[in-house]
Amino acid sequence: MISIELVSLIPLGVLGAVLGLDAVSFPQAMLSRPIVASTLSGALIGQAGRGLVMGVALEFFALESMPFGASRYPEWGSASVVGGFLFAQAADGMAGAMTVAVLAALLTASAGGASMVLLRRANALGVRKQQAQSAQGSRNAVLALQLGGMTADLVRGGLLTFLALVVFVPLQRAVTATVTMAPTVSRAGVVAIASAVGLAAVWKVVHTTNGARWCLLGGLGVGFGIAASLQ
Amino acid sequence: MTLEMFRIDDRLVHGQVVVGWGQPCALGFLVLVDDAVAQSAWEQDLYRMGVPPEMEIIFDTVVTATARLSEYRADCRTGMLITSDIDTMVRLAAALPDIRNVTVGGVHHKPGRIARARYIYLTPEEALRLQALAACGVTVVAQDVPQGAATPLDVLLRGEGPT
Amino acid sequence: MSSRNPETTLPWRVRAAILLRLFAIQGAWNYETMMGNGVAFALEPALRLLPGGHRGEPFRQAMTRHSGYFNAHPYLAAVAVGALARAELDGVPVSQIERFRVAAPGPLGSVGDRLVWAGWLPFSSCVALLAFGLGLSPGGVVLVFLGTFNLLHLGLRIWGLNAGWSQGLDVAATLANPVLRQAPAYVARATALVAGMALPVAAHGIIGPGRVLLGGVLASVATGALIVTLLHGRLEGWRLATLALAAFVLFSMVR
Repeated sequence: MISIELVSLIPLGVLGAVLGLDAVSFPQAMLSRPIVASTLSGALIGQAGRGLVMGVALEFFALESMPFGASRYPEWGSASVVGGFLFAQAADGMAGAMTVAVLAALLTASAGGASMVLLRRANALGVRKQQAQSAQGSRNAVLALQLGGMTADLVRGGLLTFLALVVFVPLQRAVTATVTMAPTVSRAGVVAIASAVGLAAVWKVVHTTNGARWCLLGGLGVGFGIAASLQ
Repeated sequence: MTLEMFRIDDRLVHGQVVVGWGQPCALGFLVLVDDAVAQSAWEQDLYRMGVPPEMEIIFDTVVTATARLSEYRADCRTGMLITSDIDTMVRLAAALPDIRNVTVGGVHHKPGRIARARYIYLTPEEALRLQALAACGVTVVAQDVPQGAATPLDVLLRGEGPT
Repeated sequence: MSSRNPETTLPWRVRAAILLRLFAIQGAWNYETMMGNGVAFALEPALRLLPGGHRGEPFRQAMTRHSGYFNAHPYLAAVAVGALARAELDGVPVSQIERFRVAAPGPLGSVGDRLVWAGWLPFSSCVALLAFGLGLSPGGVVLVFLGTFNLLHLGLRIWGLNAGWSQGLDVAATLANPVLRQAPAYVARATALVAGMALPVAAHGIIGPGRVLLGGVLASVATGALIVTLLHGRLEGWRLATLALAAFVLFSMVR
């Protein structure tokens, strides 16, 4: 039973590897953003719609992260694959499914950020090892370091996704079995927290631009109007 | 508001400064103190292009910055003074005793430098100069972006800074 | 600053190879040389055109120069790579090339960070969130996001390489482009407007049936956003959210 489940996680590990690679190394086309990665993860098990819902929730959090140079930030590609899968495979109406999936994705994103720091240190070791060759202008040293770094990043993303799923799939089952929270409350709680982070992130980015505060207020007015009309 | 931040960063004007600090702190002006850049028109052009139109950038040598500091202090906007190396900041602090806080935002790898944090590499001589600066009563911390923790100098020099 | 040799050309195959490699410029990113190795990796097809080819001394010296410390915004690094390729093939003095390698990364990082990470990326996200809230299909939402974001992403890489090559080390003129100078402010306003529209609509889309909770959610959002903003610089919102969600789960398990 367990071995069958582990095998079924391999395609997700591959997806996590590719999307983890996109975050920084190649091609940085933002396939790793939650709104894409989580949807693809859900689509892998025929639940693209549920994957997208999780992607939207995580995208609010991702609005806060800006990948500036050496600063440390969460890695959303692999984490969104984990979150998207956990939410997509949970039965519709399962208590606390969204809360647990988002929590698992946030913890994976944090671990992903830490794993990127380790990878960057490993790349630095590679630089030192090959510095003698590079100092002589060795083409092979440069190519080997670049391809080695990308391969290591691919493996990092895949392993992270796979391990996170191995930990969080049974944990999600155990937790949701004891949670009595209604799905609507679960979603509402997540939305409240995620939207607060997203709104604060947008404010941080735009508040110094002349006129942007009014644009935000105007947009919120229109947004509330649209949301009310959709009720 | 006034000239509030004194930063050592070998990249001078870049994203962490202009966006990372500039947006949340609403920076209105940057004072870039570097004797070589102050004499180089094309480098000034480059750095000028790196700041948003609403942010002023001023180029100074150590001598001119020393002379104009009170003017910067009186500015109603929030400002940041940046030097690309420790020596320049030490010279400024020696001439201007009212500099009480210095942030090391980025000193990157070069042969001879040892990693103290993921964005700070120092030679033993540079570490001594920072210690001397602190001994004069200046609070020296390491911090790249506002979200990062400010690491005290003694912790940084023990190699226990942000990794 | 430098005189460009109009005779110097970059064959289209070499240009295409550089462009392709630019997508992997951060492949060996590290805390010592940052994207330095990536710059050498991207420049390598052009440097093979130096006298003596890839076995020649000029090639080796140039590879040594360019694999050292360098960091800029990954998309706008294309400008530097184009400029450095031109300077190397034009035979610009090494001292000028070295000085450029010191001065260019900061401004290229700053412009890129403002335009892309703090501008176009949140804008693209908010457009996609709005599309979700308005009921677009999953495939449609993904395409809206990727299409919007990569329009600028691909454009910057291609334009950057060409502009860098044509301007050489006189890259400041390139960065004076009105799109790079003025666009971040316009994008910030557009982001604010679209984000304002997207947040309530997308939140409504997630909560789904049972929307009586929406009012409570919106009040919580306003309070939460205020707390996250006040805590800015001390605790990131997503970390605070992790703690809040963990508490939320624990509470619902034990109650």
